[in-house]
Amino acid sequence: MAAPSSDSWRRVARDPVLLSAILAVWILLALFVVFPLVELLARAFVDEGKVTLGPLLEIVSNAGHRIALANSLFLATSVGLAGTALGFLFAFTAVRSGLGRHWLTALDAVVLLPLVSPPFTTSISIIFSFGPKGFISHDLLGLGNVSPYGFWSTALAETLTYFPIAYLTLRPILAAIDPNLEEMAFSLGGSRGRIFRTVTVPLAVPGFANAFLLLFAASLADFATPLILGGNGFPVLPTEAYLQITGLFDFKGGAALSLVLLVPAAFVFFLQRYWVGRRTYVTVTGKVGQRSRTRALAPWAGVLLVAGCFAVTALIAYFYGLLVYASLVVAFGANNSFTLAHYHVIFTEGLPAIRDTLIIAAIGMPLGGFYGVLVGYLIARKNFPGRRAMELVAMINYALPGTIVGIGYLIAFNDPPIALTGGAMIIVACYVFRYSPTGIRATVALLQQIDRSLEEASSSLGAGSGETFRRVTLPLIASAFFAGLGVVFIRSMTAISATIFLVSISWTLITVRILENMTELALGPAAAFSVFVIVVVFIVVAALSAVLARFRAPTAGGAARSFLGG
Amino acid sequence: MAKVSIQLSGISKRFDHTVKGEVYAVRDVNLAVAEGELLTLLGPSGCGKSTTLRMIAGFEEPDEGTISIDGKDVTHVLPNRRGIGFVFQNYALFPHLSVYENVAYALRVQGKDEASIKRAVTDVLGVVGLANYERQQPHQMSGGEQQRVALARAVVFQPKVLLFDEPLSNLDAKLRVEMREQIRALQKRIGITTVYVTHDQEEAMAISDRIAVMERGQIVQDGTAPDLYYRPNTEFVARFIGRTNLLDGRVVSANEVEIEDQRVSLSTRRPVGSTVRLVVRPEMIDLAAAGEGEAGTGRVLQRTFLGEKTDYDIQFGNTKIQACRSDAFRGAAFEIGASVRLSFDPANIHLLA
Repeated sequence: MAAPSSDSWRRVARDPVLLSAILAVWILLALFVVFPLVELLARAFVDEGKVTLGPLLEIVSNAGHRIALANSLFLATSVGLAGTALGFLFAFTAVRSGLGRHWLTALDAVVLLPLVSPPFTTSISIIFSFGPKGFISHDLLGLGNVSPYGFWSTALAETLTYFPIAYLTLRPILAAIDPNLEEMAFSLGGSRGRIFRTVTVPLAVPGFANAFLLLFAASLADFATPLILGGNGFPVLPTEAYLQITGLFDFKGGAALSLVLLVPAAFVFFLQRYWVGRRTYVTVTGKVGQRSRTRALAPWAGVLLVAGCFAVTALIAYFYGLLVYASLVVAFGANNSFTLAHYHVIFTEGLPAIRDTLIIAAIGMPLGGFYGVLVGYLIARKNFPGRRAMELVAMINYALPGTIVGIGYLIAFNDPPIALTGGAMIIVACYVFRYSPTGIRATVALLQQIDRSLEEASSSLGAGSGETFRRVTLPLIASAFFAGLGVVFIRSMTAISATIFLVSISWTLITVRILENMTELALGPAAAFSVFVIVVVFIVVAALSAVLARFRAPTAGGAARSFLGG
Repeated sequence: MAKVSIQLSGISKRFDHTVKGEVYAVRDVNLAVAEGELLTLLGPSGCGKSTTLRMIAGFEEPDEGTISIDGKDVTHVLPNRRGIGFVFQNYALFPHLSVYENVAYALRVQGKDEASIKRAVTDVLGVVGLANYERQQPHQMSGGEQQRVALARAVVFQPKVLLFDEPLSNLDAKLRVEMREQIRALQKRIGITTVYVTHDQEEAMAISDRIAVMERGQIVQDGTAPDLYYRPNTEFVARFIGRTNLLDGRVVSANEVEIEDQRVSLSTRRPVGSTVRLVVRPEMIDLAAAGEGEAGTGRVLQRTFLGEKTDYDIQFGNTKIQACRSDAFRGAAFEIGASVRLSFDPANIHLLA
């Protein structure tokens, strides 16, 4: 039942708290989402007051850029397919192989590690493993001069980094498929392979599509991995745009290049939202048939699945182990004697970056948490004109590749009226508006489970909308608030694609320092920085999970998922 | 009539329906509730009774018409400024607050001092029989207890008006009876003007001073329980309140109506020879043993033993009639297939307009 809109106008106008909250959010969205995007578009397409497609045509006619576009799409498709397959392997194993709880928890932890790591961690390990002096290529296989750069290493690193997204997407879907359906088919005489083909997989198809699209988008937007591993032979769009701006100071060309990225990104976003969103066969009803452990899986198949998972898990564990090892030796491959020198470097020379990153994360965290809860509350609970538009606009920076957002901010806030470039606030703003949508979604999802009558009760007992929000709603959505905090913090520690355009001499970030170290081939400090970030993120996530556990009844999925968002 | 407390004047509420377009949930409702009165809005689901209640509370706003409370127009006043206690069907207790804090909520919002909050909360919890439950969390309590907390919370700040939205429908049958007696007792004791919404006609009759029956967004009749039972305005009301036989009769004289081939004395001004619809409640028909095929008799089709009484379905001419009979003092029940004589109690038979 939707109230007529004339009614909602009147209501909003009479509620000063609500009205000012809506206005404040719109002003923020206009300033930090719409304005940079408009500036970016203007920079790319307006020349001396006239709209022109010139820059775009230039890109299309430039063979090098055409190759970058083709590379981007090819890489994204490969990572999408490989990551979805890997995610399915893990999800299916977790749901159907009958592994014990502790094994599953261990599996979960290793699988989710890449999602909370800074970029480059897999890249560093790949260089350590497959470089000219690589542990695998040189020490084990005795190969001489091999190059770890190019499509294959980039695709491998991205697949290992992003397949957890597919795992998180597919697992609940597979878990929600009633085993009775499979057993039913089994009892009807279908072979196990046939059941898998004709029952299990078709039911999971929307999940596959969703996972593929999410991975495709993630890979398309990924900047860090191809920058390190792509090398000269494998340019992609985000790195090209970055080099255009930082190397050639060509803002117009960089803006136009990043916008080329927008087309497939937007296409995937709408496909995912409006096509996949409507094709879910499996619904969570809370009513599941007897969970008999699944004779639909042949014993040999179970062993194979578990073996496959453990192989991949071992590879990830190996990469992270290598990272820790490399951070503790003088020069990996050349001089493997123990040293703490790299840690000494990051806590002396690298200290400004650590301090800046922690300050920025500490400022962004509460702002992002509160902003996410506020916007989620307005969207889910209040009926005001422009509500749908607010929801969409709030998601834009989240859905856009970081390169676009970063260049947009750089262009928009470089000059008065709002000159923020060079300061900390522009980086904070970038993180808040880019990573709070996870908090917004968590809030909306939570509010959909909380009956509206609670707020009506508060209202009838004399509380205005501000007081109701503070006394009733906020305590009830505390878990979404903390999830929002967690995501903003993790991303503040680990993101680079947007903020690399925004750092300055006075404010820099750990991730940017890692990149600098890598280009200077100072791999030891890069490894030490990465280990440091992982440890900090782990501690904060653990602390927030402990807080979260106090606020809500245990739900399937655990805290990790709420930090990673959709 | 006593002083009017709640006045609804021509209120309507429309909703956009995806299939039917714009539909009226409530249409031109006029209603006055006297001070201290308990009025029930009764009707089947979807009749607009809850929407009407929610408009009184201020959760929804009418598209047309005005609402006033104690002579003050509150049509566009926000719910938190209306001073209305509301008891929800699902209790709507704040899950993160203890019983004490739930009840204290309105007083805290008003900024009362701790001592007077403590006094008021302790008092009202005593009244609803939950004196030692202050520290409990809502989810630790039974449904009936939760609803009593909700009741305490709704009255503790001495609202002008109390509203109930199907408060008992989540409780089991026995508890429902207990709770409605408690609600009624409390309401009378503090003398608060109350509007009560239910779809259960028995509950409505037990609890109300007055009942307004709603159908498709409109009030079709309002009156006391006996008014509605004995003198329903429409077939809908007759069917909705209690069990009923709707019989076609023919006026044979100013004092007599013929049902099937039996004459019943009933004074009417309708023209002789016209057909009329009669509302005959099952207990208004007396049954006696009769010989096979005699005039004015029917045949027992079905018999349902209910303890205090026995219900009968009887084929009477061309119509099927429901009758009931208490077997105490009256001897044995009638067998299925038995021939029975029907006599109608003319005093309470009602002619529909």
